[in-house]
Amino acid sequence: MSTEQEASPPTGTAPHGVKRREFLKVLGVGTAATTMLGCASEKVERLIPYLVSPDQTVPGVSTYYATTCRECSAACGVIAETRDGRTIKLEGNPDHPVNRGALCARGQAALQGLYNPDRYRGPMVRRNGRLESVVWDEALQIFAQKLGETRSRGGAGNTVFINQHESGSFPGFLDTWLAGFGMPAHLSYDAGADHAVIAANLQSYGVAWPRLDFHAARLVVSIGADFLDSWGALVPQQLDFADSRADHDNAPRLIYVGPRRSLTGLNADQWIDCRPGSEMSIVRMLAGQLPVEAAAQATGVSASVLDAFGREFTASTSSMVIVGGGGVDGLEVALAANALNQSHGNVGVTIKPNEGHLGFDRMAAPAELRALAERMNSGGVSLLMVRGANPAFTLPKSVGFGGAMAKVPFKVSFSSYPDETSELADLILPDHHPLEQWGDAEPVRGTISLQQPTMDPVFDTRATSDVLIAAAKKDPGSAARYAMADYRSWLISRFPGGAAGLATALPRGIASGSLGEPTTARPVPPVRAATPIEQSSGNMYLVVYPHPLLGDGRGANKPWLQEIPDPVTKICWQTVAEMNPATAEKMGLSNGDLVTVQTSAGTLTLPVLRYPGTQRDTVAIGTGRGHTHAGRYAKAGFNPLEILPLAEDRAGGVAFVSTKANVSKAGGYAQIVTTEGSARQHGRGIGQAIAIADLQGGRPGHDTGASNVAEVAANAGPEAPAGEHPEGGAEHSEEMPGDASHQFLPGLRSPVANDAQGEQGDPRSKDNGMYDPNHWSGMAKRRWAMTVDLSRCTGCAACVSACYAENNIPTVGADWQVGKVLPDRTGFGANLLRSREMAWIRIERYYEGGEDGGADFDTRFVPMMCQHCGNAPCEPVCPVYATYHSPDGLNVQVYNRCVGTRYCSNNCPYKVRYFNWFGYGEPARSQYAFPEPLNWQLNPDVTVRGKGVMEKCSFCVQRIRETEDRAAAEKRPLKPDEFTTACAAGCPSRAIVFGDAADESWTVTQLAKDARAYHVFEELNTFTAVVYLKKVTHPSPTIAGGT
Amino acid sequence: MQPVAFRHTIHVDTLKMNCLYCHFSANKSFDPGLPAVGTCMGCHTVVSGASPGNKAEIQKLAAYWNKKEPVPWVRIHKLPEYVHFPHMRHVNAGVTCQTCHGQIQNMKQVYQASSLNMGWCINCHIGQTNPPFRARYDCSSCHY
Repeated sequence: MSTEQEASPPTGTAPHGVKRREFLKVLGVGTAATTMLGCASEKVERLIPYLVSPDQTVPGVSTYYATTCRECSAACGVIAETRDGRTIKLEGNPDHPVNRGALCARGQAALQGLYNPDRYRGPMVRRNGRLESVVWDEALQIFAQKLGETRSRGGAGNTVFINQHESGSFPGFLDTWLAGFGMPAHLSYDAGADHAVIAANLQSYGVAWPRLDFHAARLVVSIGADFLDSWGALVPQQLDFADSRADHDNAPRLIYVGPRRSLTGLNADQWIDCRPGSEMSIVRMLAGQLPVEAAAQATGVSASVLDAFGREFTASTSSMVIVGGGGVDGLEVALAANALNQSHGNVGVTIKPNEGHLGFDRMAAPAELRALAERMNSGGVSLLMVRGANPAFTLPKSVGFGGAMAKVPFKVSFSSYPDETSELADLILPDHHPLEQWGDAEPVRGTISLQQPTMDPVFDTRATSDVLIAAAKKDPGSAARYAMADYRSWLISRFPGGAAGLATALPRGIASGSLGEPTTARPVPPVRAATPIEQSSGNMYLVVYPHPLLGDGRGANKPWLQEIPDPVTKICWQTVAEMNPATAEKMGLSNGDLVTVQTSAGTLTLPVLRYPGTQRDTVAIGTGRGHTHAGRYAKAGFNPLEILPLAEDRAGGVAFVSTKANVSKAGGYAQIVTTEGSARQHGRGIGQAIAIADLQGGRPGHDTGASNVAEVAANAGPEAPAGEHPEGGAEHSEEMPGDASHQFLPGLRSPVANDAQGEQGDPRSKDNGMYDPNHWSGMAKRRWAMTVDLSRCTGCAACVSACYAENNIPTVGADWQVGKVLPDRTGFGANLLRSREMAWIRIERYYEGGEDGGADFDTRFVPMMCQHCGNAPCEPVCPVYATYHSPDGLNVQVYNRCVGTRYCSNNCPYKVRYFNWFGYGEPARSQYAFPEPLNWQLNPDVTVRGKGVMEKCSFCVQRIRETEDRAAAEKRPLKPDEFTTACAAGCPSRAIVFGDAADESWTVTQLAKDARAYHVFEELNTFTAVVYLKKVTHPSPTIAGGT
Repeated sequence: MQPVAFRHTIHVDTLKMNCLYCHFSANKSFDPGLPAVGTCMGCHTVVSGASPGNKAEIQKLAAYWNKKEPVPWVRIHKLPEYVHFPHMRHVNAGVTCQTCHGQIQNMKQVYQASSLNMGWCINCHIGQTNPPFRARYDCSSCHY
């Protein structure tokens, strides 16, 4: 691993180097032009060498740089894989204390920010109302001049710098710089943070974000705290939660309280669907301050459920109550929950303030930005500078931030991408992407997480830190204090051990120490008094929630994040109004019917989705989509913040659940863009579960997924005899525990492979073929296989985005890829409506239980990829042997053999084969999925598929072959668990394990022997190489037969 | 026609240079490594050529170097995108460069000596050549 950035321009063949036509043009100048043309009929391709070979890099061999992810405030460590000067893949840094090797979907998609085709190419300045490109010298001159003017006119106190919230040394550096110009300290803003909770934590525990020890808890009560979606530091929370749940005997039961069942809610064992705004009643009931009947009255939840909940909470030996703000009383609810934790002795046991996460200190509340907007409107701000944040989009439109910006004489944006805020700026000084610049973060106390450039800048951008230094050099007052060349030099001067210390720390990406200034909590600004939700008018409560993948909207222009289905709703490229099926039925609304959602702030017309996880009086809409100025992909969908009236909680946070809305049928229809077929399993046993009591008692207790409500009722209770299971439960139960059918025979082969290439191929041959385990190649000694633990999987889709990044999966949902069809009136997702999604791995999300989200409503997540069947139905139907079984157990797809009959896909019971209809990987085609420079990210180890071929999960065969090559070069056998697939490497739940199931020393072999192991569609005798481990359910101890 | 009339004959046959001096990653990467212009100039700042023809070609090279431009070599050998050919596996197994690239030390201008089609690959992988090699011939060894 290299310690410093020495990236050079990419080398190798130059697809965009000399084009043939230009080449011929050059030839045409010569005298022998006509004769030469006759000879040069073949396409000439050029090999462009380096001018000077960079040190430490070998062409075709990756270099890895440890750096820090800046996609959210958590600051996970990442290892950036760089090939020939381009960063092509991010993986979690195993040594990093925050994410421990895992990486979420948003972190994976950082690459699509780096190579975003809509990024600013260079600095721009507004002249005559239009943004014009300028060179950096000129842009810096303008910037320095404005800074000087502001100060000389005595306006320095009226300047504002808004920075995207981050930890580490930069905030302190920035404040020092601002102070040098006589400017006030910056506002650190993160639209995705939960301010009410942070304020309450600071008040109760003295830290912004204590560590949540799920291991120590036996009962977790989440009152709208979406710790798997958007609440807090997601990856460490998910790692801890999945680990605690995998320890089945000591696993905490999770109860989710809230009007909408988020991804966290879907992972809960029980959902209490209280009315929006009634969370306080639940907390008070748990604290014994409110009788159960009164709580039932306030929340709309039945008294018996609340009574059982209360008794379970009181009886619990160690619990954890966590709260997500959102209502106008968010701060009060959070404080009450903290008090509840105190009185139950949870603080220091399950909630650990001493191991707090530092990423959320010092954050400015949205109320400060609202107050700023008011100041701007009254002409009180002379210069506004914004870096990384997009307040014109992420604040409710009723704040009027964008409009107020017009009153500011000069606005500077440091944004790398166009967005709603930067579009209003007068000067744009585009920042480097975080993967292109130096920096640091301090995610946990005493640990510096280093950020270093992983490649040369894609465009003519400059790190804001360097721009600030350059501007200070031009200022007579500051120049003396900014003698350093750039931010890196400044960092080295502060780093423990200086340059040598930095060089030592860089390979691991972390160091002990602290570079940041000591931070103090900002005082809560004066907030607007808010009216209780019950006093607003409307027929339904409006719940606005952050999208788990797009966040506050900063991920919206990354096509992966638009195309990967929402983990909860399975919606892509679209914003929908979620309603309970019973409510929708009453209003005569089917999926896709347009509704008008009207509040005092505005009206939105969008399609309805019947989602059982919505409280009956609630309409829920996710944020993140509906940009107006954030690039070509971000236009998809609608932005609910446009109709959210301004309301603040007492911590100054935006109250996202603060109003009722009038919801009415609008007439008209827009097809729902989803990759989902049926949301129900229909008893097929795809996602299986076992109750904890059955698992502990060694009872079969197979629950293969009910097909309807009646069957659920028939199956209720752990004591139901196995024979009464309606769909094949009896025959399964004989095999428990640990059925024998997933023994992985080395070289397990399909009849086709056996016949075509194996020992029966040529009886005279002495070579028995590579399917012979004793063959010299040894290939058939292995059986690549995978286990997926459903008791760990939370359905977060990190594996899906890792697969997109690793395997060059095209996105097909952009509006220009299929014209004319307008599913939601923006045109996005039309290809998906025709089932043309290309994701090699998908998360199937199945509902169990009541149609209308009753007490028995439950969910199962099943990651589904090619099962690499030993006896694959796809193989014998291929007329050209394009798909076959390899000796080491892979179901292989040979693209150059494939003629596109699609027979294989039709015969695949798992529907994991995807047909490349339009040549998404071919630059000349209209549906090309990788507009320059998105194509720079493509993995050179994986074929970019052309039109008319079938493609599917390959078990990351390129990684298998790469590791075999490496072992061969080092003249040694493969080491157990030496490598893994992209999906398994990123998984923040550690649900996926890959390896050689014919070798006992690999982890996967041990996991496959688990009593919970099963194959999907085992009855088809497909002998799959993927073993699922059943989800473990934890029914309520106090409600008989409940889930 | 190549932008500079590079002679493998002079470098390999006459001067006996090792292939790996220029194609430096052929034994450690899929990619054999195309010499950087700086590598050429490592010698040619002092070696200016014996004949007037050679001198002229070396001056062309120096011109690229002085302009800080890479030499746009014309590609001769190309496998389709869906085939992965690990140079290092072959070089380290003792397959000579000439086995695939022909008698390159005698070529005044490089041409494609072998068909590079799949039958030709397999022929060697199943041990039908002299001297015999053997290697995996499963599709997924190369096609992915």
